[in-house]
Amino acid sequence: MTSAPRSSSRATSATSARRRAAAGRVWREFRSSRSGLVGLVVLLVIVLLAILAPVLAPARLLDVTQIDNPINHPPTWSLPLGTDPSGRSVLVTLLWGARVSLLVGVVATLLSMVIGTVVGMAVGHYSGWGAAVLMRVVDFFLVLPSLVLAIVLSAVLARGVWTIILAIGVTSWASTARLVRSQTLTIESRPYIERAWALGAGHRTVIGRHVLPAVLPLVLANTTLTVGSAIIAESTLSFLGLGDTTKPSWGSMLKVALDSGAATGGFWWFVLPPGLAIVVVVLCFTLVGRALESVINPTLRGR
Amino acid sequence: MTSALLEQDVEATDADRDVRGGTSFWRYAGRKAGGAAFSLVMVVVLGFFAFRILPGDPTRSMTRGRIMSPEQLETLKRQFGLDEPLHTQFWIYLKNLPRLDFGESYVYRRPVSDLIAEHLGATLLLTGVSAAIAIALGLWIGQRAAWRRGSWFDRLNTGSALVLWSVPTFWLGLILLLVFGGMLHWLPTGGLKTAGTTATGIPLVWDVIRHMIMPVVTLVAVTYAQYLLVMRASLLEEMHADYLTTARAKGLREDLVRRRHAVPNALLPTVTLVFLHLGGLIAGAVTVEAIFSWPGLGYLTYAALSGPDLPLLQGTFVVFSSIVILMNLAADLLYRFLDPRVRAA
Amino acid sequence: MRAIRNLVATLSVGALAGALAVAAPATSADAAKSPTIFKVAASSTIDTFNPFISIYLLPTGLNRLVYENLVQYSVKDGSPTEGLATKWETSADAKTWTFTIREGMKWSDGQPITSADPQWTYQQMMTDSDMGTANGSLVSNFAKVEAPDPQTLVITMKEPQASNPGLEIPVVPKHVWEKIGDKVKYANDTNVVGSGPFVLEKFTPSQSVVLKANPNFWQGKPKLDGVTYVIYKNTDASVQALKAGEVDMVGQPTLTVPQFDSLKNADGITTNAGKGRRFVGLSLNPGAKTRDGKKVGDGNPVLQDKAVRQAIRQAINIPELLDKTFQGHGTLATSFIPSVYPQWQWKDESKLAKYDPAAANAKLDAAGYKKGPDGVRLDKSGKPINLRLFVDNSDSVDQSRADFIVPWLKAVGIGVTVKPTDGDTISADTTAGKYDMYFTAWSLGADPDYQLGINTCNALPTKTNGEGSTSMDYWCDPEFDKLYAQQHAELDPAKRQEIVKQMQAIHYDAAPSIDFWYPENLEAYRSDKFKDLTKMPEDGGVLNGQSGYYALLKAQPVGADSKNASDSSGGGMGAGGWVAIAVALLAALGGGAWLARRRGSTADDRE
Repeated sequence: MTSAPRSSSRATSATSARRRAAAGRVWREFRSSRSGLVGLVVLLVIVLLAILAPVLAPARLLDVTQIDNPINHPPTWSLPLGTDPSGRSVLVTLLWGARVSLLVGVVATLLSMVIGTVVGMAVGHYSGWGAAVLMRVVDFFLVLPSLVLAIVLSAVLARGVWTIILAIGVTSWASTARLVRSQTLTIESRPYIERAWALGAGHRTVIGRHVLPAVLPLVLANTTLTVGSAIIAESTLSFLGLGDTTKPSWGSMLKVALDSGAATGGFWWFVLPPGLAIVVVVLCFTLVGRALESVINPTLRGR
Repeated sequence: MTSALLEQDVEATDADRDVRGGTSFWRYAGRKAGGAAFSLVMVVVLGFFAFRILPGDPTRSMTRGRIMSPEQLETLKRQFGLDEPLHTQFWIYLKNLPRLDFGESYVYRRPVSDLIAEHLGATLLLTGVSAAIAIALGLWIGQRAAWRRGSWFDRLNTGSALVLWSVPTFWLGLILLLVFGGMLHWLPTGGLKTAGTTATGIPLVWDVIRHMIMPVVTLVAVTYAQYLLVMRASLLEEMHADYLTTARAKGLREDLVRRRHAVPNALLPTVTLVFLHLGGLIAGAVTVEAIFSWPGLGYLTYAALSGPDLPLLQGTFVVFSSIVILMNLAADLLYRFLDPRVRAA
Repeated sequence: MRAIRNLVATLSVGALAGALAVAAPATSADAAKSPTIFKVAASSTIDTFNPFISIYLLPTGLNRLVYENLVQYSVKDGSPTEGLATKWETSADAKTWTFTIREGMKWSDGQPITSADPQWTYQQMMTDSDMGTANGSLVSNFAKVEAPDPQTLVITMKEPQASNPGLEIPVVPKHVWEKIGDKVKYANDTNVVGSGPFVLEKFTPSQSVVLKANPNFWQGKPKLDGVTYVIYKNTDASVQALKAGEVDMVGQPTLTVPQFDSLKNADGITTNAGKGRRFVGLSLNPGAKTRDGKKVGDGNPVLQDKAVRQAIRQAINIPELLDKTFQGHGTLATSFIPSVYPQWQWKDESKLAKYDPAAANAKLDAAGYKKGPDGVRLDKSGKPINLRLFVDNSDSVDQSRADFIVPWLKAVGIGVTVKPTDGDTISADTTAGKYDMYFTAWSLGADPDYQLGINTCNALPTKTNGEGSTSMDYWCDPEFDKLYAQQHAELDPAKRQEIVKQMQAIHYDAAPSIDFWYPENLEAYRSDKFKDLTKMPEDGGVLNGQSGYYALLKAQPVGADSKNASDSSGGGMGAGGWVAIAVALLAALGGGAWLARRRGSTADDRE
């Protein structure tokens, strides 16, 4: 690269143009999947609401000493989803909860994707006993009941959002690694990689210039699918008492609802919205993920 | 959490298998068994150390709010073997493991292996029945959906499977409990059988079945989607294969083509994934058993969390993981044994 | 290929066979006539029924039904009353206690109960520290225990003791236990021989505990034929079970307020908000140190200042806290001795502080804690004050209390960081002195000696890691200790009560913990099926978690026809409506997904 900067930069610009074109193609094909589009629009609305939460519902509405709502009150015009056991508006908490739930889902997934992609490419690209051992580790994490491991991790580390993220992230990367590995194997068996090797490319060039760009679209589709699982995992860990209760998330709302006996009390306005919010968001991520997947992996089209 | 709805999984798995097509069965079996053994060793080591880095002194938290003298606390520590250094504890753990001796539960004061043996049956019953129903339902709907791609049947079933897959297990369980247990009184609210029942024979079986319905429905609802989608995807792939065209050309009826040729071949990758996703079923069992007070291993794990009962958590972790690892090994071997393409080779 | 289909078939058949296999080895007792069984839902942990080892609340409580103590707590106010012993005498120096055992009593297997049984029981605990796992501290002052004749038991103390030594310790049958090899490992959970109103017949872990009436109980056989504890891990489920008539009583542990309220108007169900023997409060780290004055842990030094601790108490609106987080289901606390023991509880209204943030601010100003630019006060080294508050994740009331306390303390210039964690970490960190504030709670026996004892300087740890003893709040005061020694040997109850009250006043002024309230135990039972349940204390007490065996002692079925359990559901919109909404919403979602797919299918179909 250092020996021929000009040709390299030209190649880069050519590559980026090609990638822009590819992205445009992906978008056109994605647009044709109505379910994916619906999912994407709903998601964007929810993300927007989450980002705007401090504007729509100032943080002081969460301060229980500043509000004077009756507790566990059914919905009214001024409190559209009623109040929770502390007298907070459920709608306000739901809005703020979206921030934490989405953050946990997305960041945990990113962590899982980074680990999965790196390990997957390493196992697919290199051979030798190191890669073999690593593959065993992947297999191990693949079959391990990840919830049980996540329980252990969140019990061991100090409570908090980041612990939950870590626990989900490090237990859910194995399927990505496996996927990336097989994609790496497929790509490296193609003639142009052999040509690259013949031209004297090193490991770094082959992985960075050829394998990674080819693997990334698949990882992207996988990411959207995994975010949903991560959000469900967050709620499950919260339900088991391993979450962070100082920040409202949809999972911790359900935990409070369960602990306070809201379900038995018939407070549907506190039990249903967080659960339904999880269902909607997870469903949207899944729809978008599936649509992306069929765009990126043409053999899946027509299914 | 690993069980994302990945259709590429089918191909990834398929690719793996094909690469290994040529080797002999025994070499293949040996390699698979070696992998499983490696995983088991990892589980054993992780099972010990993950729980030992927990901060704090379990004797203190267990006795919180109770009249205890320092001598009593020392006695408890000695009884739990906590006065030994970590490496000695690990050595004792390793030495006892081959006899399936996980030590004694802090809370129940009994061997962990006894507790696990008592609770294992209930979990196998629940997860076994749920898995069988989820697999049967998923595969059946999956193949019908694929065959009639785009029909109302396909759309409705795929859509509702995706929705149910997005539901948090414990939330669904709670709502079912309120409706069918609390309001309608149709089904019992928890447990494996009516407490203190003296029934035997058929009435007892009926009692157990009534108690099982809600936990099984919950577990099936949140898991069958993945089987459905995988089956649908792999059958769609098979449907364009040349041999089906040949079969049709021979004049075979459409449903025979499906039953005799396409479905069995599409089943192969699906079965492997079924086993790969067993871990998800066990995760579901922890929450479902907690909600429905089902006296199984998941319930035991949930109860042990609030001790924290380290030997018990360790035991359930090792047992859960080993079951999944061994089931996967069985699936791998079975796959190799059943796959006609490999057998022919 | 057929093999695969067979595999699936085999799987389902195997599962069914599994169902039968699990079902088969169940009980096969004769169900001739239907006995009257009272079913109690319980969610607490059961460790073991070995009375020497069991330390959890539920099995300890069940053993109260199985084993009569030498001396029982009275149903009225918990004062000592007849148990196995009919009367007792104390020597003038309070060092020798002589008990007279009732004649003609029998164990449930028909063997006679004599003074040899308590003598043997106590001796085991005194000589083998493993046998003292559960109650060793109660015999630590015993020098020797003798049984000169079958009806007399003499306990000689090391130090004078005013509190009755015959309370609390379950007395086991010597003729059964001396034959057991490893007594510490003995599970004691089937066909137990006992002396109380009910004896344990069968324990199925994670499922149920079956007790049957003891015909040989000295007060006569109870009217119930048996009691079955049904184990629920989910209290919502147990409430539904009560509504459905699957169980007859709930409330172990306490129901939540919404659960309780949902049962209030239900047909055939009677609710009880019973006064409990617990207090809850906020513990402050007054500068944890060892007995010889070495620093323990890392508590914030500002809390060593009594003025700060008192100001924190004035900054917290305790009545509102009780109202908002527990809907008023408790009695405001005046000290760490709950109001169910009025004879011991200190309650001097004139000395009690009121919620007064202005006074709290003034107190902090006067103590020299200036407010910094952001309104947070600075400590003596000029750093902004920031206190850690531990919150137990598994306790929803803890969490909501923290939500109130943070802004209230902020209003007087004290910063608070909430640390959510689990109970284990809290007890580890508080033992090691690594805390500023945490929510504390204790259950008290009818004699306050132990609770007072853990507030003395002798209760401070001996090691700098906090081990060697249990101190309630790491606080002690020589004046308090002097009074403690006095009351310990004071045999006149009235005088002893007076001293104990003085001690509480000292503790209140020092404020090492801020006592919030004595929570009620929220519980309910099927009054359409059973009547004559006895609360403890009789006046407004609890049915679950009593320190005696009174709840079910006189309970009996309402009529011969107890089967007409009428279905009941909450009034108003109730659960029915909202579940319908849930189903409708889910259906709508499913429909939406379907519609979305359908629209998309035109594109999908393109090959």
